[in-house]
Parts: sequence; structure tokens; C-alpha cells
Amino acid sequence: MAHVLLLEPNRVLAQTYDRALQSVGHMVSVAFSAEEAIQAADRLQPDVVLLELHLPVHDGIEFLHEFRSYPEWQAIPAIMITNAAPQAVQPYAGVLKQDLGVKKCFYKPRFQLKQLLKVVAEQVAT
Amino acid sequence: MQDSADKLQGGSMQLLYSVAEQLKTPLSIISRQAELDKLASGVADPDIIHTQANTALTLVESYLLGLQLAQQQTALALEPVSVSSLLVEVAHELDGFAKQYGVGLELQIAGKYEPVMTSRPGLRAALLSVGYAMLEGDLSQDRKLSLAVHKTPHGIVTGVYGYYDQLHSRQWRQALALQGQARQPFKGLCSGSAAGLYVAEAILQAMATRLRVGRHLKQQGLATTLLPSQQLQFV
Repeated sequence: MAHVLLLEPNRVLAQTYDRALQSVGHMVSVAFSAEEAIQAADRLQPDVVLLELHLPVHDGIEFLHEFRSYPEWQAIPAIMITNAAPQAVQPYAGVLKQDLGVKKCFYKPRFQLKQLLKVVAEQVAT
Repeated sequence: MQDSADKLQGGSMQLLYSVAEQLKTPLSIISRQAELDKLASGVADPDIIHTQANTALTLVESYLLGLQLAQQQTALALEPVSVSSLLVEVAHELDGFAKQYGVGLELQIAGKYEPVMTSRPGLRAALLSVGYAMLEGDLSQDRKLSLAVHKTPHGIVTGVYGYYDQLHSRQWRQALALQGQARQPFKGLCSGSAAGLYVAEAILQAMATRLRVGRHLKQQGLATTLLPSQQLQFV
């Protein structure tokens, strides 16, 4: 159905999301760092990006700034799944939504996989 | 005296915050795996659920042990401990977790070492806590960690090591100061909140020792020094 670029530094969580996405027919490229994600996107352009805000070395906002600097990737929707508490993300909400193309932000302890799959399907359809 | 009490409580709150943040990860994994099983039967991995649950329980138990030892609610029962045999036990417990995170785990226990007089449950909990933290947030150059023991003039040194860019004691001191405050307090060693390192430090402090940046052969990591027991000597 769609090519999903998954940027999640925790390998076990990444495997879990990967299986959920594949179970509904998506193709998934998994990256554990911002650098790996850029390389993966270069190999095959994704239709949607899922990412954690808290990354080793660089954070998700830095990654998105670099990702959006490539003209061909500027319109690709991004969905955030993060351990950062909502009150910590709130100050960046405007930048994330308007400048960095983040369509939805999930808080890891409270979201469900079926919500994620629904949002991915919506973003791929638009 | 009030200042010391306030400082102790402040430190305890930071540790609790760090542990609470860390627990989000295994609990999120368990929850998502359970949901995955509902979405697509047979796709979830029961080994992941089991290992992550054990990791979370170990972190909680180790945290409580450190707290109890610090508040002297639990007596520090000392006994002669073979560090080599304890490392075998710790490696066995970490093995499944290491495999899930794709990190190789080696034992480097060659040689004969006198037993050390220490709290076996305390040392075990400390080594497990360090192991889990370094495995989950692994930033080693070759994705391999070692559980090792060696002897120095100061005592028997044991810890968890890997190949990193130069680690300094200063970085560990900074990480201790950033406990519960920074997202990645010890970036040179592992990503994440590193709660396991703080839990280990709390336990070891109650055992009159500490974690330090150390070397084993060409690897670096975190280790503690223990005094050999004078009561028993292996021949």
C-alpha cells in the first residue's frame, strides 16, 4: 500500500511497529538514527515518515529540518510517536505542524497501534 | 542535618523520576505487543513480552533494593562472592534482552580471582541494572558489550564494557549531576535516561563502593572495585 519510513531508536519498539504496519500491507524501512533515516529515504522515497522526537545524537526536530531541506521530500507527511510528554512537545507544536509537516503527534504511553494505522492510512490517501 | 535530609530526598526524587521515565519503554513495548496480537494473531512475540516484563521488574526491584539499603531498612548481608560465577549468572539473565536489541554479549572472566566480601544480591542487581541500560541504549562502535572481571592493586574490578569513543570520568560525574534532568545524561556511553546506571550507583554506594569509568583490555565502560575476602582464598 505505502512505503513507510520508520525512525525509532528502540529496536524492539521498531520491530513492533514494523510488524503492525506490515500486517496491513505497508512496506517499511526502519532506521534507528537520523543519519540512517536520510540514507533510507535516499534509497527509496517514503510516502509517510513515522518518527520519535527523542533520538540519539540528533533529535527529531533536527532530523525534520534536514529532511525538509530536500525539495522532493517537503510534502511527505510526518507522524510523531514520542516518549516526550505532551506538555514538553506543546511549545513546539506550531513549528512541528506548520514548518515541519507533522500531521499528528502520539504520546507513546497512551496511543494505540490501531490509531496509528488509521492515521497512516489517512495520510497516504490524501 | 536538615540540608543533608533535603539533599537525600532531592536525590531520591531525581532517581524516582529517572526510573519512572525508563519504565515507559518496556511497558509501552508490552502494551503494543499485546495489541499487535489482537490486530494480527500470531504476529506478536511472547519472548519480547516476557523479556521486557522481566526488565521492568528488575529495574523496579533494583531501585527498591537501593532505596532500602540507603535507608537501612535492609541490612547489608555480606558474604564471600565469586565475581566470575556471578557474571555468568548476570550474562545468562541479560542474554535474551541482548539478542532482542541485536547486541552481542561476551563474558571475559579468564583467570582465578579471590572471592570478594560483598552483598551478592546488591552486586547482582547493580550489574544487571548497568547491563540493561547499556544494552538498550547501546552506542558501542561494534554493537558488542563485555561483562568482565580483572584484578588491580586496589581490588577486584568488575563491570560492563564496550568500544566507545574516549570515555572520561568527567562525563560520568556530569551524568550523575544530570540525573532525572537530562534526556540523555551520558551520551558517550548510552542513549536514553540511563536510569539503570543511577540505580546501580545507588546500590553500590550503599555497599561502600561506586561506579567509575574504567578500562578492560581495549574496552571502556562502567565498573566497580571490590575488596577480596581475607577469609577464603581459592588455591
